[in-house]
This record gives sequence, structure tokens and C-alpha cells, in this order.
Amino acid sequence: MEKLSSLTIILALFVTFSAGAQTSGKVVSTKTHIKFFSATPAENIEANNNTAVGTINKETGEVVFSVPMQGFEFEKALMQKHFNSDNFLDTKSFPKAKLIGKITNLDKVNFTKDGTYEAIVQGDMTIKGVTKPIDEKGTVVVKGNMVEVQSKFNLTLADYGITFVKGKPSSNIAKSVEVTIHSELQAQ
Amino acid sequence: MKRGKIIKSVIIIAVAGIIIAGAVGLYMFNMPHRNVQKANAVYNLTSSQIVTEYLTDKELANKKYLSGDGDSKVLKISGVVNRISEDFNGQKVVLLKGADDKAGVSASFTKETNPNAAKLKVGEAVTIKGVIRSGASFDKDLALYENVILEKSDVATK
Repeated sequence: MEKLSSLTIILALFVTFSAGAQTSGKVVSTKTHIKFFSATPAENIEANNNTAVGTINKETGEVVFSVPMQGFEFEKALMQKHFNSDNFLDTKSFPKAKLIGKITNLDKVNFTKDGTYEAIVQGDMTIKGVTKPIDEKGTVVVKGNMVEVQSKFNLTLADYGITFVKGKPSSNIAKSVEVTIHSELQAQ
Repeated sequence: MKRGKIIKSVIIIAVAGIIIAGAVGLYMFNMPHRNVQKANAVYNLTSSQIVTEYLTDKELANKKYLSGDGDSKVLKISGVVNRISEDFNGQKVVLLKGADDKAGVSASFTKETNPNAAKLKVGEAVTIKGVIRSGASFDKDLALYENVILEKSDVATK
């Protein structure tokens, strides 16, 4: 009899922890695409990055994305060089940009039920060593153990101290760029 | 007559100068991206070695491997295939990681080199050549070890 009750306890604990693991904890990105787009009368500029990594804590709503800046690819090689140069984003000194935020309407996002939810993320964006608050909306799609997030928002370059002192960039890049992020995340 | 000849020469030289400047400008504007696979690998090391280098001193490693214009060092990395996945661009991503290592080297292939990545199997030892985009580190905000990232990769033929 004793053996049976111990086994039952162990089994019960095991089931509890397994069930807990499904809803709690972090999901980590398996693939992430970040694009930024700038429209100016002179020409449109677009860059794509497939090297970013992100996590979402389903319990606390914490969202973190780390973006390797040298992963941004432009169609024109010259534009890519300007982007990385110390006149502009100085990616050798500041190799990563980071978003640290929190889903503030976590009660509206149900990670345990398949569906599409609109999430509000508030937090900080750090680019070229400068940190500024952000408050943006995104879409969270839950499908089984996969979480897909998408968001589109604008960033004003001057806010991060990214200005143009000399050279071609000044007329070609809009003051505000449109950032699109698309990421698929799973429990590791 | 002499003055006329001089003026004529000056005009020809000036026009030639403008054409050359224009040609250079046009070339720069349409300059092709560096061909990573055609370039020589500057360093040849294992995934464990480069991860250790980065986890020991990130600043020093970045000074060594990253370039200010974005055309960072082309590397040949040897290691064991830990995982093969795909990014949103349909490019294969191969993770080389030692069994005891905290981080590995994540190499993204291209549409052209994808078939070579597709032939790889988890557990296989391989050497991959690519350009480094960022190094390995423990990110306290992600609470994860980030891998070294290579792009424009291909399986290296020794």
C-alpha cells in the first residue's frame, strides 16, 4: 500500500510539472526576419536581416530581440557599406541592436489556445548605444507549440543620434524608417 | 592660334575628366557585393575555438573579426552539425556546436549553396566557409547564449 501511494505521488508530481511546462516558460525564435524600409523622393531603400534572435516569456509577457546589425543586407553594396560605416550606424562598435519589452495586455493573449491575438508591447529599443522607449502593437498567432509574431512600426533615426553630417545619405534616407518584424518561436 | 589649341586641350581634358569621374561614380553606385565564397578565408578554426575566443573577450574578438564597412572576415569553421533549419528566406541554416560547448556557430547558406547544406546530417563533421556577422556571447536579457553568426556560407572543400 505504501509503495502504491508513493508511486501515485511521484506520478502526480510528474504530470503537474509536465502540464506546467506546456504553458509556462520561454519560447525561443527558430527564424526571424526584420526589414526596414525608407521611402524618399530620390530612391527607396530596403534592408533585410535574417539573423536576429528573440524570446518571449509566456508567463511574464517579456519580449527580447537581439539583432546583429551586420546582418542587414541591401541590394546595393555601396549602401550597405555606408550603413555599417562609423558615419552612420558604426556596426563594428555597436554590433547589436536590442528590443526589451513586455506585452502589457497579457490577459488578452492566450498562449494555451490556438488563435490570433493583438498584443501591445511597451519597452526599450537600443540602437547604436542609445536607448529610447517604444510602445507598439503586434499580432501574436498561437498554433500548437508554435508562436508567430508580426509587427510593423516606425522609428525616427534622429532619436537614436543617427544623423547625417556629410555625404550622400542625407538626402536619400527618410527621417523615419518603417520596421517590419516577423518571427516564429518555440519552446526549446 | 596657340591660345585656341590650349583652350581645345583644356576642354578635352576636362571632358575626359568628367567622363572618368562619371564612370567611377557609376561603378561605385552599382558596385557588386563581395563574393564571399571566392574570397580567401582569413582564419581557419573550430567552432569550439571561436566560441571560446568570444566568451573570453568579446571586445577583442570583435576587433579581430568584424570590419567597419560590414565586409567582415571570411572564416572557415570546422565542427559537428548540431542542427539544420531554414530561415524565412528559404536559406538553410547549419549549427555547428561541440557537445560540451555553451554556444556554436550558426551558418546561413544561400539559394545557390543550399543543396550542399541539404546533404549534411546531424552528427556529421564538416568545414563551412562564410562571412562573420556577429560573435558569441551570453545575453543576460535573452538569458541565452547567442551563437557566432556566419552568412553566405558553403561547405568548404579543403
